[in-house]
Amino acid sequence: MRRRLTRLTRRRTRLLAGVGAAVAVIVALLATGLGRDPSVIASPLVGHMAPNFTLAQLDGPPVTLFKLRGQIVVVNFWASWCTECQVEQAALDQMWQQFRDSGVVVIGVNFQDTAGAARSYVSTADVTYPVVEDTDSSTALAYGLRGVPETFVVNQSGRIVDHVIGPIDEATLVSEINAMLLASAR
Amino acid sequence: MSQLGTYLLLFALVVSCYGLLAAAVGAKTGRPALVESARRCAFGVLATVAAANATMLAALLSNEFAIRYVADNSARETPVFFKALSLWAADSGSLLLWNLILGGYIAAVAVRFRRDRPPTFPYALSVLFAVQVFYLILINGPAQPFASLANPPADGRGPAPLLQNHPLMAVHPPFLYLGFIGFTVPFAFGIAALLAGQGLDQWVSLIRRWTLVVWCFLTVGLLLGALWSYSVLGWGGYWAWDPVENVALLPWLLSTAFLHSVMLQERRGMARLWNIALVIGAFSLMTFGTFLTRANVLSSVHAFAQTSVGPAYLAFLALVLLAGFGLVAWRLPTLRTPASLTSAISREGAFVANNMLLLAAAAIILLGTTFPLVVEAVSGQQVTVGGPYFRSSVTPVFLLILLLAGTAPLLPWRATNRSRALRRLRVPATAAALVMIATAWAGVRQITVVAGFGLAALVFVTSGQEILGGLAIGRRGLRAGTVRALVRGRRRHAGLVVHLGLALVAAGITASYSLGQQAQVTLKTGQSTVFGGQVLRYQGLHTDQQPQRIVLTTTVSVTNSSGGTAGTLDPRMNLYPAATEPIGSPSIRRGIVWDLYASLISLQDDGGSATFRFYRNPGVNWLWFGGLVMALGGIAAAWPSRRPNSGGDQGAKAVRKRAAVEAGAP
Amino acid sequence: MNAAGTLWRVRAGLPRLLVPIALAAGLATLVIVAVGGHPPASQAQQVQQIAAGLHCPICKDLSVADSPAPLAQQMRQEIAAKLGAGESADQIRAGFVAAYGPSVLMSPPRQGVAGVAYYLPLLVLAAGVVAAFTALRRWLRTPQPDPPGSASPRLSASQRRALAKAVARLREEEPG
Repeated sequence: MRRRLTRLTRRRTRLLAGVGAAVAVIVALLATGLGRDPSVIASPLVGHMAPNFTLAQLDGPPVTLFKLRGQIVVVNFWASWCTECQVEQAALDQMWQQFRDSGVVVIGVNFQDTAGAARSYVSTADVTYPVVEDTDSSTALAYGLRGVPETFVVNQSGRIVDHVIGPIDEATLVSEINAMLLASAR
Repeated sequence: MSQLGTYLLLFALVVSCYGLLAAAVGAKTGRPALVESARRCAFGVLATVAAANATMLAALLSNEFAIRYVADNSARETPVFFKALSLWAADSGSLLLWNLILGGYIAAVAVRFRRDRPPTFPYALSVLFAVQVFYLILINGPAQPFASLANPPADGRGPAPLLQNHPLMAVHPPFLYLGFIGFTVPFAFGIAALLAGQGLDQWVSLIRRWTLVVWCFLTVGLLLGALWSYSVLGWGGYWAWDPVENVALLPWLLSTAFLHSVMLQERRGMARLWNIALVIGAFSLMTFGTFLTRANVLSSVHAFAQTSVGPAYLAFLALVLLAGFGLVAWRLPTLRTPASLTSAISREGAFVANNMLLLAAAAIILLGTTFPLVVEAVSGQQVTVGGPYFRSSVTPVFLLILLLAGTAPLLPWRATNRSRALRRLRVPATAAALVMIATAWAGVRQITVVAGFGLAALVFVTSGQEILGGLAIGRRGLRAGTVRALVRGRRRHAGLVVHLGLALVAAGITASYSLGQQAQVTLKTGQSTVFGGQVLRYQGLHTDQQPQRIVLTTTVSVTNSSGGTAGTLDPRMNLYPAATEPIGSPSIRRGIVWDLYASLISLQDDGGSATFRFYRNPGVNWLWFGGLVMALGGIAAAWPSRRPNSGGDQGAKAVRKRAAVEAGAP
Repeated sequence: MNAAGTLWRVRAGLPRLLVPIALAAGLATLVIVAVGGHPPASQAQQVQQIAAGLHCPICKDLSVADSPAPLAQQMRQEIAAKLGAGESADQIRAGFVAAYGPSVLMSPPRQGVAGVAYYLPLLVLAAGVVAAFTALRRWLRTPQPDPPGSASPRLSASQRRALAKAVARLREEEPG
């Protein structure tokens, strides 16, 4: 009788341990999801060659990315209806003024917008860097765009080294560009 | 008002804690006075939480922007109707509603058991109070709805545009919550039976009717969600396999399995372990669903804004799983019943298969929904598991369930008279075969569609045949009329009515998923296009300036091919100041078979030209109607009968009578 | 005339061979539909098929085919352009994956860790069948306990009445 009882208790403890282990695994798995934001998806293009594009400027000749090889290119996707883009616009312009003679190009790619709205925004915000139109969004699709603003930093050999979702942080980007310029100077 | 609300919630928490302790101590030491005081606490908690809800409602309606929740979810120009609904527009406010409904259920339990109480009642009460304490801790801690702002703004942000666009906002969350929260009661009584170590047969009869009512609420809540997706979101469909939609379906599947499996325990004393596990599983999945929705773990249309309640819900889920399944493991010897079965091809075998299929469907959906989380944790890769995966993996299981629903009502208990069952299957099977042949003849080439229509016909004809057969026996066997016969066999007839509804829902889903048509056209004013045999002409744009939004309404006239006007469609675009993109409102012309559905995609030239998406969806109204029939059938099954010795406990009483007769035989 | 009586007459009047013929025809239909091919898809249908397998990047749950968003529309145009240029469906999908990552596909990729998803439904069903069989086997094995002296029970009048009532109630619940 006692043997049967101990067998019962042993089986019971094993079952309880099993339940505990299963719950621990489930909770650990779910906890990994708690830390991060599910809407932020890493871009697979970082580290790869930047897709080429030839897009017409709002007022000017077309711009081809491949022709800018040898310079650092900051490709910024924006739209006139995007409120967050206005936040970073001043920083981008300042960066353009600071680096335009050091071999850095800032290009604004207009996304899902009308030419009229884009032009009026450019003149109101006094944008000085080249702005191109992506009318059929083929460039946006090639860059895996999920919204605006998004910024890609392309190094001198044409490889994407950074991808920023949302308004840029000027200090981080400036230090990145400085580091790249320093590395290429050597 | 912020202070009043905060103190009310704190008071509710204190009273619930007392209730929990009193019930638990009363249960352990067997002191009825303590249990009675705990029971009375339930009313106190309900009153306090109701007062807190009323306070928030008053704050919303009086534009008290000093309270952060009001500033974030309401604005001066929001219409009064939607201001009131903002009560549950965001996380902390919806927790107020949650606590109110939970308090209501506990008070209902307190009222129901004010006199004759089962011995497990004190334990159940303590479990109920424990759950209430958790949700009150949440609302007093991480998610405080009455938190105040130091500098109140002049005007609030207003509710999210999608939540103030349609009156369905008034019913979808409340019904869903009534369904979800209601599972706490069966769970509490199941845990109570495990804790007390007794009453492991009676608890099922106790809460069968509760679970049925809760099931009805959840069915309606899910249907309203599908209706929202169809009538409000404008993409032409009603179920997008969104993670939150999926986890809302899981408790429904498990409770359906439970409601069937209950009959095994009532009549044959079998499936004790299955039943308690199903109830604990349903409650755990409901808690898991709440966690998934509010902890912002997966990207979803329903996701609340980022909150800090995630870890709390996870801890509660862990507690529920450990306590529930731990107790099951603890009491496993008493749960293993020495029941016996003569054959697997019997009603009992069908219920076992039903359990298995519903659980399999739930497991597939659960695993698919959490799969992106698992893959990212294991390999860092981000993947999507969307509609096509779920459709292809779950459809065979649902088709098998339909097959079961169409044949099992004919199978006898104990496999006594199988040839008779086979005879009764002839008409339904023939009907199903004819429907399949007709469908294939009509040109349908997908096997799931042909099988779906055939099986829906099978379920429909079987259920109809059994209902009519029951009426005939009634007329011949008793002096009373049809109504009496209906009432006497009420439980069975109500279940068959639910199956009728299920057949309609299955037919509707099969039709709408595969036989719909759609087209996207850009029309200039006055231009027309031919779609689905009708001529649709864009007539013009009308702008309506409202205090909280601008409504752009386009009118499309619908003319039949014969020339007669069939009406107009007026899809709208709503521009809210808070939203970067306009919120579209589709326009639907509903018919018995076909719905003509129009969605406005974009406008050009100030309305001179407009891009529309037109859909022709068959069978969607069968879905709503069938769902309504299911819910009504469930209510009919749960309806208490006037005769004292019959009704829902017929099954249990039959068991006891049989046992008494067998015992009485010399 | 009541419906049940009509039903009974229909059921009795069905020629004996009609039912098996109808059933056989129904099953044959299923088989024919299952193995029958689909007509080759037009280009518009092909675009729709590929779009249905891609997740609209800016929507929450919708495919590119279902989504009314402008980006989804432009994606459909891009798919049509690539199809016209001669790319295969796999190449088009690979192009989008290169830009957006594997999460742009509506279903997980079949290679690697994510490919496990396609085995899960079968595993679940297999586990379910095993569980059901275990439960059934256990219940089938337990012999029906014979109450002592059950060969010829002698019932008192009240017991007979109780039995009759119980049987009547059971019959009401299970007509026929």
